[in-house]
Amino acid sequence: MISKLLSRITLWRAIVALIFATGIYAAYARFALGFQQSTNLADPQPWGLWVGLGTLCGVGLSAGGFAIAAAVYLLGFERYRPVLRTAVLVSFLGYLTVIVGMMYELGLPWRIWHPIVMWNRHSVLFEVSWCVMLYTTVLALEFSPSLVEKIPWVRLRDLYLKWHHEILIALVLIGTVLSSLHQSFLGGLYLMTKGKLDPLWYSTYLPSLFYLSAIPAGLAATLVAIYLSVRSLNVRLDLSIMSEISRVIAPLLCIYALFRGVDLFTHDGWRYLWMWREETLSFWLEIGLFVVAPVVLLSREKIRTTPIYLYWTCCLVVMGFMANRLNVSITGLQASSGFYYVPKWTEFALTFATIAAAVLAFRYAVLYLDILPKNMPANRWIADRAAEA
Amino acid sequence: MENSKAILVDITKCIGCRACEQACKELHGFPLATEAKLSTTALTVIEERGDKFVRRLCMNCHDPACASACLVGALKKTSLGPVTYDASKCIGCRYCLVACPFNVPRYEWSKLVPFVKKCDMCFERQSKGQPPACVEACPTGASIVGNRDQILEEAQRRIVLDSKYVKHIYGEQEAGGTSVFFISDVPFEKLGFVAAPQQPMPVLTANALGDVPTVVLVGGAMLSGMYWITQRRRQVALAEAQEKSNSEKGS
Repeated sequence: MISKLLSRITLWRAIVALIFATGIYAAYARFALGFQQSTNLADPQPWGLWVGLGTLCGVGLSAGGFAIAAAVYLLGFERYRPVLRTAVLVSFLGYLTVIVGMMYELGLPWRIWHPIVMWNRHSVLFEVSWCVMLYTTVLALEFSPSLVEKIPWVRLRDLYLKWHHEILIALVLIGTVLSSLHQSFLGGLYLMTKGKLDPLWYSTYLPSLFYLSAIPAGLAATLVAIYLSVRSLNVRLDLSIMSEISRVIAPLLCIYALFRGVDLFTHDGWRYLWMWREETLSFWLEIGLFVVAPVVLLSREKIRTTPIYLYWTCCLVVMGFMANRLNVSITGLQASSGFYYVPKWTEFALTFATIAAAVLAFRYAVLYLDILPKNMPANRWIADRAAEA
Repeated sequence: MENSKAILVDITKCIGCRACEQACKELHGFPLATEAKLSTTALTVIEERGDKFVRRLCMNCHDPACASACLVGALKKTSLGPVTYDASKCIGCRYCLVACPFNVPRYEWSKLVPFVKKCDMCFERQSKGQPPACVEACPTGASIVGNRDQILEEAQRRIVLDSKYVKHIYGEQEAGGTSVFFISDVPFEKLGFVAAPQQPMPVLTANALGDVPTVVLVGGAMLSGMYWITQRRRQVALAEAQEKSNSEKGS
């Protein structure tokens, strides 16, 4: 018995257990001891890793859902349909991590419902909060058939699926608009930091830049999820769909880079491009990871058509995107605040535990629901052959 | 806002006695020990810069960044002048700290039920006709209070009449104008004053928010149009296929 249990302990399971154990301690520290014991946040840096990585990256990397849904349903790109459910699931889980993140990020999380009844329409954050609420609802509805189709009661199931079919296009339309607004508004939050945010990142076009960068990053995140599913979850999928989608990423990144470049040159940002400072180094690291390396790599046929290379290229895009959001929310504000913020380990622990929970949820959804087409389980083949014999 | 109040701090008159600090702390029931920087228990402090004493407090902006940033409207500009904070609405998002161009609001990081703390120009006292506690305590008249336009006139009068003053009223243009003004005989940047944008901060986000209806309408219409085209194409393709199969049957 014990040896059977021991044999179930693998490296990955140990890592996941460690992530959850530290996450649970971090949650205890946050709620029982407070911000001061659980974070390195301070008045000059009121938003740290939880906002920068949890919220900004969580929402941004969830952009694949609306992009693929709009492509399939509104633009008629039927060839993307096999990965539609994956994209929607990634977005849905991404948004759930953001909402869970708010529960420990907000100082008074039990008041999270306040924006529903207390309105300030001059606040970008107010609009953001409504986008989160509404778009998460839309994503839940878009995702719901995957769950509902598993309900054993046929009449209820058919009734729901029929109703769902009728509202689907409206859902996708509303979802596309909401999600576009939401992505832009996250950049809009930082419009208020004029004079504080480094000129390499501050721009009156922050909303557009956030939007333009989220789409390729969201697509890359979806490709990462697809590749990992095929690698480890017994999924059977023609991987040429990955190269199909990857063909869009490089042009989207180029459009973003062009916009960003023009923007830097139309305000004073370009003066800072070659200064020897930490901010400038972070800037070039971000551009290298997010734009230069992926665009060069994706221009090569061999990389686009080899899943493992494509996977690592998409990882670069995701990392570069994270670098951008962390630069806007942390690095770019350091000089003006005169405060050097390094997240406390409990901040990392709680964020990683939230992400790990989403990855686990994704894994079980792919295993038990019809998200992606699956291979027949191996033992069944054997059983079938035995029956034949 | 003709009866809007404002405070004028004349740095040349401040002797660093810290009576304002103490009066503020007494009024709020904070520990009386003096503090070097603004904190959750020090809503105004005297900072020593060389031989100058610089009072720090919330600028109570005319069109405040914090009030426009606050998603639940906990922060409000009152017609009396003070920018007030309604703790019962606050959800603890701390966007006001991010938004403030003067880095004034403080957060109770060490508490399990944390709130934002900042000077509200003694809104309660002022609505009863009393001056703010700090101004009342000031023995040298370095801090005075009055109607905003009169206070601004007084500041202008002083910097014009006496050549020792820097020809700048800090707070007149900063962040589009504030309800706390500073005049000084030493350039403000040497006293740790930030070079805040010379425009009301809410303007920065107003344009982006103003675009929302357009984005929703135009975006929605474009997407619907694309969907219509997609559907139409599908129908045409279907009809053509049917025609083809019909003609094949006919022949």
